[in-house]
Amino acid sequence: MNKTAKSEGLSLCPKCYKANAFVTGRHKCQRCNATFYQRKPRSIEYTIAWTIAALVMFIPANLMPIMVFTALGNVDASTILGGIQTFLKLGMYPVAIVVFIASFIVPLGKILGLVILVLGVRKGPGLKSEQRTKLYHVVEFLGPWSMLDVFVVALMAAVVNLGFLTSIEAGPGITYFTLMVVFTMFAAESFDPRLLWDSEKYE
Amino acid sequence: MSGHSNKVHEHIICPQCDLLSRAPNLEQGHKVVCKRCGAKLYECKTNSIDRTLALSLAGLILALPAMSLPIIGVGAVGLLNYSSLLECIHQLINNGYQGIALCIFLFTIAIPVVRLFAATYITWSIKFNRVTPALLNFFRSYHQLDSWTMLHVFLLGIVVSMYKLVDLAELHVGVGFIAFVSLLICSTTISVTLDHHLIWDRLEQSLDE
Repeated sequence: MNKTAKSEGLSLCPKCYKANAFVTGRHKCQRCNATFYQRKPRSIEYTIAWTIAALVMFIPANLMPIMVFTALGNVDASTILGGIQTFLKLGMYPVAIVVFIASFIVPLGKILGLVILVLGVRKGPGLKSEQRTKLYHVVEFLGPWSMLDVFVVALMAAVVNLGFLTSIEAGPGITYFTLMVVFTMFAAESFDPRLLWDSEKYE
Repeated sequence: MSGHSNKVHEHIICPQCDLLSRAPNLEQGHKVVCKRCGAKLYECKTNSIDRTLALSLAGLILALPAMSLPIIGVGAVGLLNYSSLLECIHQLINNGYQGIALCIFLFTIAIPVVRLFAATYITWSIKFNRVTPALLNFFRSYHQLDSWTMLHVFLLGIVVSMYKLVDLAELHVGVGFIAFVSLLICSTTISVTLDHHLIWDRLEQSLDE
């Protein structure tokens, strides 16, 4: 029973998880009519492309202000890291840590994780396939959590709207930040974890 | 070809590492784990159809108040301003961030609601034996929605905003917050109770007959 579906001429429908007798190229699932391939086509190329796009977006997302705070005529624009600094100054360490992890560590970690996975398919040294699969799960799971800062800014902008006294508006950095999060999610979705196991001989 | 069709019916394939295993007979509450990579292959969930129907209906009922009632509000020098999820999106459009507004609308309103509706419709059809071929296409799109539902992240967003606002002004929590938390609970638990394999098997059986 130590066989993979590929070696037995079978393939799994990615939508309804039915085992299909597989011929070649494009295949239509016998149960749910989804068209699919034995492996996601050009999976590595797509993953690399989305990851690079995300990395490029990471730069303006951190350099441009994401929130513009106006109090009695004073305009104060803050970037992601600037906002965290304010929390630290106020002594709110738990929130500072949550925001720092969600909007800085997680996006960078996802990009790094994707790079490790792509290199892993080409069989670099180091991690085992099992650990790489775990890494993929983590990257996939973390996907939406970086949207945290976008939601916070949206809420703050709507709530803090007290006429000319105090108001908060979203800044241009938020657009790049959202794009970056969406790009990393596309990258994780284009990756095919089965590629990590294909070169392995299972006995 | 007969060898092939046997394999198709008797085997399950791991979606993570492509290992081929023999399909076991399961009772409610049991699950199968891939012996090579440890991914969960199959879980026979208890009372899946009824539970999912109940939870997704509750979620649909809660969706409207969760989106339109005020979630949090601030007060300063006699002014009080409450805001709901829909007002957040409205404010972003006013500020000229239509793209972000669209993203937030999709991730916190459109996708969760469509997902709840899809779960309700599918479990309803199976429970009352109204399966049509169109359901195949309908349920196929359901899988795509899972990773794009971001209600849980929005809840964390509300909590972080509360911390930011406590310092700035007087903070008020609205009824919308309770509705939103309940919606989140319903939306999250249906991913636990919904049994994809069971639904696909049922759809296949009733369409074969």
